[in-house]
Amino acid sequence: MSLMRQIAWLVLGVVLAALVGAVGLSTLSTQQLMRTQLELKNADNAQALALALSQQGGDGELIKLLVSAQFDTGAYEFVRWRGVNGETLFERSEPPRAGLAPAWFRALLPITAAPGVAQLSSGWNAIGSVELMSQSSYAHDALWLSSRQLLAWLFIVGIAAAVVAWGGLRRIRRPLDAAVAQAEGVLVGSYGQVAEPRVPELQRLTRAMNAMVQRVKEMFEAQAGQLLVLREQVHHDPLTGVSTRRHFLAELDAALQRDDGPAIAGLVLVRLRDLPGLNARLGRAGVDDVLLTLVTALQAYPESVAGCRVGRLNGGDFALWLPAEGVAAETAHALADALRASLPAFGPGVQVALGAIELPRERPSGVWLGEADAALARAEHLGEARGGFVVEIVAEPGLGREQGEGLWRAQLQEAVGQQRGRLAEFPVCDRAGRVLHLECPLQLDLGTGFVPAASWLPLAVRARLTAQVDLFAVDLALKAISGDGQARCINVAPASLADAVFLPQLRELLAQWPQAARALLLDLTEAAATEHFDRLLELGQQLRPLGVKLGLEHAGAGLAQVERLYQAGLDYVKLDASVLLGVAGEAGRAAFVRGMVIMLRSLALKVYGEGVVDEMDAQALWDCELDGLTGPWVTSSLRG
Amino acid sequence: MLAAAPLLAAAAYDATRVLEAAAVRGPKVTEQAQALVQLIERSGTQDELQRLRDINDFFNRRIAFQEDAVTWGVPDYWASPLESLEKRAGDCEDYAIAKYFSLTATGVPTAKLRLVYVRARLGGQSLAHMVLAYYAQPSAEPLILDNLRPEVLPASQRADLTPVFSFNTEGLWQGTGQVTAGNPLARLSMWREVVAKVKAEGFL
Repeated sequence: MSLMRQIAWLVLGVVLAALVGAVGLSTLSTQQLMRTQLELKNADNAQALALALSQQGGDGELIKLLVSAQFDTGAYEFVRWRGVNGETLFERSEPPRAGLAPAWFRALLPITAAPGVAQLSSGWNAIGSVELMSQSSYAHDALWLSSRQLLAWLFIVGIAAAVVAWGGLRRIRRPLDAAVAQAEGVLVGSYGQVAEPRVPELQRLTRAMNAMVQRVKEMFEAQAGQLLVLREQVHHDPLTGVSTRRHFLAELDAALQRDDGPAIAGLVLVRLRDLPGLNARLGRAGVDDVLLTLVTALQAYPESVAGCRVGRLNGGDFALWLPAEGVAAETAHALADALRASLPAFGPGVQVALGAIELPRERPSGVWLGEADAALARAEHLGEARGGFVVEIVAEPGLGREQGEGLWRAQLQEAVGQQRGRLAEFPVCDRAGRVLHLECPLQLDLGTGFVPAASWLPLAVRARLTAQVDLFAVDLALKAISGDGQARCINVAPASLADAVFLPQLRELLAQWPQAARALLLDLTEAAATEHFDRLLELGQQLRPLGVKLGLEHAGAGLAQVERLYQAGLDYVKLDASVLLGVAGEAGRAAFVRGMVIMLRSLALKVYGEGVVDEMDAQALWDCELDGLTGPWVTSSLRG
Repeated sequence: MLAAAPLLAAAAYDATRVLEAAAVRGPKVTEQAQALVQLIERSGTQDELQRLRDINDFFNRRIAFQEDAVTWGVPDYWASPLESLEKRAGDCEDYAIAKYFSLTATGVPTAKLRLVYVRARLGGQSLAHMVLAYYAQPSAEPLILDNLRPEVLPASQRADLTPVFSFNTEGLWQGTGQVTAGNPLARLSMWREVVAKVKAEGFL
């Protein structure tokens, strides 16, 4: 029994006991009083009658007349004249009068008064005694009425007491509930602080809990800080601070694989030409300055546009990934202009070549890099002729959709409205090969067969239809779960989270499938945690009671920057392929992954790995103690 | 009245309690009480007529007639036997009360004893008075124990007295009702009050 219920029962018990006790005691004492008074009345009336009868000179008829008169004008059960030997000489009696009080009440609280007796004399002669008994039903009626009135009054007082007690309990309950909610939050990994209540005991408890939460927060921040340092060391070029070749290639692979990017993206390669020659002329320190100037120009993009990546591929080779359509050529020209302005300061002979390409994202990374290299080579070739800055742009035209936004919108709405969609299934397995859950990206039929999210998600974001699409996906997943009981995971776009109607509709949908909802997982991107943190908290608070699990996907270096991750109350985190690719070959990368796992574990989060391609990496990741993996290798090894 | 008999039997005279109650009042009262207790003990073996005489003489000798207003400072006061013995004074009902409870203590049934209000003619004057009457048989002529005439005489020889009303402790504790000294609600009449006092002193 809960504490509150125990207290409530206790209060109820005390009030009831007081009520019953008061009524009982009062009734008993009233009964006692009634009996005493009735006995005195009997005795006094007998004496008074005897006094009158003793003055009649022993005249039997007169005595009988007086006895009758007394009986008729009073309320008596009997009036009796006894002779000197105790024999009854005359008696008037009637059965006990039925009063207002019910029979059970009379039986429970009998008022049995002794009859009144007085001696009769005529002159010196004793002529017996008179004995009388009053009707007790009047006393019973009075007792009955007073008991009922008392009960009614005490009932009212009892209700008032219960109301007051209930109010008091509510006052105690609020801070208690807050403390319990905080404790439950800590249990599921949401380290929130609460205001200290004024009740001293709870205040101490809350203070202790808050202090513990503060300590966890500090620990987490320290770990996150260490991870940031480690990341700098492992992923970044020590001179320029941009991604190393290995890390940039992993980032490129991950960017090409993920399904929420644009259909067409761009890649710009920048080469500082004749590095050995520059080294000879400017010295190592001078070349370093040139390289830093180059990087400064490149870094402007990732700093202002989310998803842009810069990497140093070789000594003088840099790459810039642009997750947007139609900006590659523009960017290359802008870069060239910027460099033209800044590089001449280092003297003549500092030459730069730029190659830019634009390709559909579904092409493999080999094609991307090959095309970009080819473009760069052409630029260099041109540069041989012209000298200075050269730019070569390769773009595959005609890939972008010609249709206008209105048409996409209609197509998307039609597909969702007609339920033309299906869930692809990619298993997430644990080390023993058991399927933990299925990642289920939605594929929609927009009139030309089913296409993956990569094709339509950018359109949906632009048309503000993600909430509808995501709800459709959740609906499909719930139906599938109730069919086979297999846990399934659905991606929720950050844009949906920002949509005010999404959460209520999601709750409604989940309420229709309470069983299946327990096996549902919802993936959110890092962006959801950084940009819509309050929404994420709300989502967690509303969905957790329904058994839905929440997690972050594509979590990488940015995770350390998610403030208050310790407070978000997530269930799991899926590490991005860009962090995981190549862990087998480089101890530093593995150390970073291990650090992430330890940090996330300390927040009671499960850690999964995404986009695992080869077995070596998989083995290395199991050694880092991840809870589960997904990706092509997992899918194929499960089939194999 | 028959039903009352066992209850009356239950309340009994107890010499020890009488002496204890007297000790509280002082050595002089103890002395008087010891004399009374010895008398009661002695009388128990004699016939009732002799007891009447002994008890009548005991109180007529030891208690002087005095108005309540002088003795107690109130117009009317019904004293218990020990109170009367302490003051060595009393008026007519104090004699009658002391004799009544002393006789019941010797074992005379209460049914045979009655306290009687009488009108006494004394020297041409008429005054309210109380005597104790003893009925050897229920319908017999009573013997009168009085303080005006110290000898025990049959009623027919007391032409100076006109009886008005009589009472005794019969029926006082009839039924289940408890009329005790401890119940303040029941202490309403002079008679009940004095009965309670006498009970507390151990005569009943």
